[in-house]
Amino acid sequence: MQQINISINGKQFHLLATEHETLAHLIREKAGLTGTKIGCEEGSCGACTVLVDGKAVLSCITPALRCDGSEVTTIEALAKDGKLHRLQELFVEKGAIQCGFCTPGMVLTALSLAPALIRETDSSALIRKVKEGLSGNLCRCTGYKKIIEAVAGYVKEISATTVSKSSPFKPAHAIKGGVGIPRPYLEAEKKVRGAAEYADDIVLKNSLHCKFLRSIHSHARIEHIDVSEAMIMQGVHYIATGREIPGKFGVLPISQDETAIAVEKVRYAGEIVAAVAADTEEIAAEACRLIRVKYKPIREFLTIEDSLNDAGENERIHETGKFNNNIHKKAELRFGDQQQGIKEAEFTSKMSFEFEGLSHGFTEPHAATAYWDENGLTIITATQVPHYLHRALAKVMEVPLSRVRVIKPYLGGGFGGKSDPFPHEIIVSHLSRKTGRPVRVRLSREEVFLTNHGRHPSKMTVEMGISGEGTIKVLDADVAIDGGAYGSFGVVTSYYNGVLLQAPYKLDNFGFRTYRVYTNKPQCGAMRGHGAVNSRFAVESLIDDLAIKIAMDPCELRMKNFLDSNTLTVGQYRITSNGSRESLQKVMDLSGWKDRRGKLEKGRGLGVACGFFISGSALPIIWNELPQSVVHLKLDFDGRVLVTSGSSDIGQGSDTMLAIIVSEVLGIGMDKIFVLAADTLLTPVDFGSYSSRVTFMAGNAAKDAALILKKEITEALVIKHNINPGELNFSDDRIYSNDTTTNLSWMEAVEILTAKRGAVSVSGKYISPKLGGDFKGAGAGLSPSYSFGACIAEVEVDMETGYVKVTDVWGAHDCGKALNPLAVEGQLEGSWHMGTGQAISEQMKYYKGLLLNNNFLEYKIPTSVDTPDIHASIIETIDPEGPFGAKEAGEGAIHPVIPAIANAIFNATGVRITSLPVSAEDILAKMKENHLAE
Amino acid sequence: MLKGKTYIKASTAEQALSLARENNGRVRYFAGGTDVMVNRFQGNDLADLLIDISEIQALKEVFASDETLAIGSLISLDDLAGHSTVCDHFPVLAEAVKSVASPTIRKTATLGGNLLCGNRCSYFNQSEWWREASGYCLKSSGPVCLASGGSKHCFAKFVSDMAIVLISLNACVELLDFSGTSIKPLESIYTGDGMAPRGISPESIIKAIRIPLNHHISSVYKKLRKRATLDFTSLTTAVSVKKAGSIRIVLGGVHAKPVIVDGKAGDDLKALAAAAVSQSRIVDNDTYSRKYRKDMIIVFLERSFKELQLG
Repeated sequence: MQQINISINGKQFHLLATEHETLAHLIREKAGLTGTKIGCEEGSCGACTVLVDGKAVLSCITPALRCDGSEVTTIEALAKDGKLHRLQELFVEKGAIQCGFCTPGMVLTALSLAPALIRETDSSALIRKVKEGLSGNLCRCTGYKKIIEAVAGYVKEISATTVSKSSPFKPAHAIKGGVGIPRPYLEAEKKVRGAAEYADDIVLKNSLHCKFLRSIHSHARIEHIDVSEAMIMQGVHYIATGREIPGKFGVLPISQDETAIAVEKVRYAGEIVAAVAADTEEIAAEACRLIRVKYKPIREFLTIEDSLNDAGENERIHETGKFNNNIHKKAELRFGDQQQGIKEAEFTSKMSFEFEGLSHGFTEPHAATAYWDENGLTIITATQVPHYLHRALAKVMEVPLSRVRVIKPYLGGGFGGKSDPFPHEIIVSHLSRKTGRPVRVRLSREEVFLTNHGRHPSKMTVEMGISGEGTIKVLDADVAIDGGAYGSFGVVTSYYNGVLLQAPYKLDNFGFRTYRVYTNKPQCGAMRGHGAVNSRFAVESLIDDLAIKIAMDPCELRMKNFLDSNTLTVGQYRITSNGSRESLQKVMDLSGWKDRRGKLEKGRGLGVACGFFISGSALPIIWNELPQSVVHLKLDFDGRVLVTSGSSDIGQGSDTMLAIIVSEVLGIGMDKIFVLAADTLLTPVDFGSYSSRVTFMAGNAAKDAALILKKEITEALVIKHNINPGELNFSDDRIYSNDTTTNLSWMEAVEILTAKRGAVSVSGKYISPKLGGDFKGAGAGLSPSYSFGACIAEVEVDMETGYVKVTDVWGAHDCGKALNPLAVEGQLEGSWHMGTGQAISEQMKYYKGLLLNNNFLEYKIPTSVDTPDIHASIIETIDPEGPFGAKEAGEGAIHPVIPAIANAIFNATGVRITSLPVSAEDILAKMKENHLAE
Repeated sequence: MLKGKTYIKASTAEQALSLARENNGRVRYFAGGTDVMVNRFQGNDLADLLIDISEIQALKEVFASDETLAIGSLISLDDLAGHSTVCDHFPVLAEAVKSVASPTIRKTATLGGNLLCGNRCSYFNQSEWWREASGYCLKSSGPVCLASGGSKHCFAKFVSDMAIVLISLNACVELLDFSGTSIKPLESIYTGDGMAPRGISPESIIKAIRIPLNHHISSVYKKLRKRATLDFTSLTTAVSVKKAGSIRIVLGGVHAKPVIVDGKAGDDLKALAAAAVSQSRIVDNDTYSRKYRKDMIIVFLERSFKELQLG
């Protein structure tokens, strides 16, 4: 230990630092400034960026002792006298903040970059330099577009010789209006100040630290675990092994196949074998090294083929299932007459596809703190679904549901990757119970990759047939997905790969068969666009191929086959609003499709694709008759409406969405609304943030609650003022009759309502209508509404190296109604960024069950310079059942972008992409083949 | 002798050297630290004694004489790219710098640190847990190379982009070690053995890089990587031509050391490119396949020749 004198944000600190401690650790754990985030610990993501003596540095790879005598500036220092720095204001105003986890690093990087760009007068050169300057800071939510706008806007402002009068900064709650007004998230200011606390930022007194010992074998029997040496280490409080918490869990009731710590055997390399609670992270990690485990390796199953086959004499991964193989789930559905369809088709196309697995790549690693007190267990954790975790913890901890409280703090992105109950959440709960102290854990980025639950590696053969006029006659899909070691959402994923092909095109003869297999790798689960992203890719590629076969514009072919609004699909999905045609027309117009396609220079190409997605699953995961979502409102004498909801804002803006809806119904400003969400003690049950359900379901529950409250207010006023309830208007913080003889301020109305009654609480709910057919599997993919959309991508392919650069994406998405257009655009831009990653650079590469690229340097998320220029269009169709016509915008948009890129590559090179990510090598080889064939 | 974990800042190269002497060379010099810190995080660098040399001002200066441009090794990559003397003489250096890591890393990372950046391999640059689970590769003291599927030789790839371009410019390093100061060709410090890729003693400090002037060199630099930032190289090529006619081709990312092919005006360019390919020793230790990287050598070199208007 050495003492250092360090100035942090102008304040002198005299701190003891260990010799090899990082600056990030010192700032967070010793100076207590948690605005500086840790995303990778390897200098690859930029979340930890701070300024040292004015220069941007990555604090996770900077030794603390180097900074002795230095002046360090963290995000907390930027706002002065209660006022945000102008750059921070622009981040807020432009909607550059979603989950907010990358924001502190991004802002500080931009701040140190800006002065050098002042001389840049050319606007496109400025954008290019901003992109380049930010290229070491990963953002997974925004697609960078709004961040770049904020930074370029700031540079322009500080460059201006004359001070132009920009309108003064308005915090989100001060922006007038409700539905349809673009606004930043209510908490954006808190996030940009670095004041929003994420799971690892919340440090409870006397907390112990938890670290895990993980299996080095993919498939092995655990013969013996010896913790004796580790247990006597000073500072070690408890070491847990699997037998202590043997209760099985899993997000789906039908796949309760996982234990928190491996019991008897391990099923993937990286599975937790023991967990240590100790005074410090270092001691816990050292103790893990002292635990001796004797394994007996058994034959591992690592590929889909291995697991489909009979296991022979070998021990299966799970001893469930009727047959001697490692198939987890088989699903098959047939509609119409596929054989007849094939006969009727004049042109058919059949191709096989292969897709690598993907990671969600959220910037905030999983983290949690658990403690027990007189109220039972409380866990503060980065989760998308407090409700399912609540149930899993009660089950495994063997306590009543009434003794578990799950709190979701601010969350640094999820994309599906924080929607299962996780072993680490159960383990810290257990360790806390055993030690009587709070226990905290933060996973390393490698551990996040090991936890996985990402997109399934998939293989599929898909066939489509069309008539000579271009009417789709038949679609058949044969799909196998690699689930890894446990079930997760996999049964749903299996179905979605098939059922979610029954739109947006009209099909009469359609069928699919899917298998999900267990393999000895980290488990796969739900990831943005769940289940249907890869099979959508296949179908959109086939349509592109068929359009060429019948010499029809692929847009025209799609237009011909779109389902109408207010119809049923072949599998009895109820389609209500449907903006497929408008979406496709929009991207055709904006991209110059008709004029430009086929006339681009060599190596450039345009491609198109469409898609659709559920707006919330109509059926709950755990069968029960609770409403899908309940929202409570409480109005008290102060005129404030407290909204309580169990829904999880994971950075997508759902808290703000709830406030907008309540504001719209009651005609009051956002300054009178307070949202309290995702705390299972205080908030009513909502099934969580998955399946793109929150706006539709929690939004409808909020609307229902607000209408009930409005009725209560109306009734009170009707009695007092003797007027016709139908004549009352709620608008602009006033309640007035048509003839304005009654004209009350909100506060006057609240006084009348609460007189002799006090606070008024009301409860609203959303229950999905009964939907779907009467056959096994009919429930999969049922939703009260569906989103639709289209993308056109432009690519530039280097014809000698095969290198693909996606230059532009024009996307349009039918979200029904954009309650908050700024947030919707952000979701769309983020989806198209993420889709670009899946198309061109992201994949999980394994070596014998070990993930080779388990970090942000080798898992290649597109940076600001790799992300195309994104041109987003919102299509509004006003869904009859969505709140104010709204439906989902968070996942569906990712579907069309990936095949659009692949089809653009075909347009540029004549090479059909059948495996993802796109490989430059494959493109070259196929171009060569095509050339030879000519 | 210092015991246990220690961190010391040296203010002069001589002080750093004497600390190394007192500790029998068991030291890890540490400049920007952007490579070393990651290796330490992964458990690939366990040195207890860290000597931070990043504040040695004397090693951050740039001098140009009539014949030589001497660049202090501790200049940050960012400062190097913005240094007018350097850019005036060798614009290709600025171009190469901007292809290294990310803009933020370049503010901290130094030229000398880049030249001594560890050789990389998908099987080595992993956590201790991963390397144990994989059975340890040769470079991690395991029995055989995992990337090649059993070789007894380590070809962890050479990833210093700056070295590639500097060698093409015939740069020398000014080295300080226990025996004093010496000047040698930059390429001479690289061994080609992925296990011990640098043939200099642990106490050695690169004080400066010296590039001969007045050869009227034109150079073309190229780098293959998945993303347009952040990534280490999958293939780096630098081709430099002197007015007098000599041609120097240098490749990075395809061997444990830089691959160098010297030629002259009028040589068969295809043969030079073929020589570069045949000298490379690529194994599957990268995001791109062995075959693709090999094929790209030819593409990159042909493009470079064209841009240099050779042949």
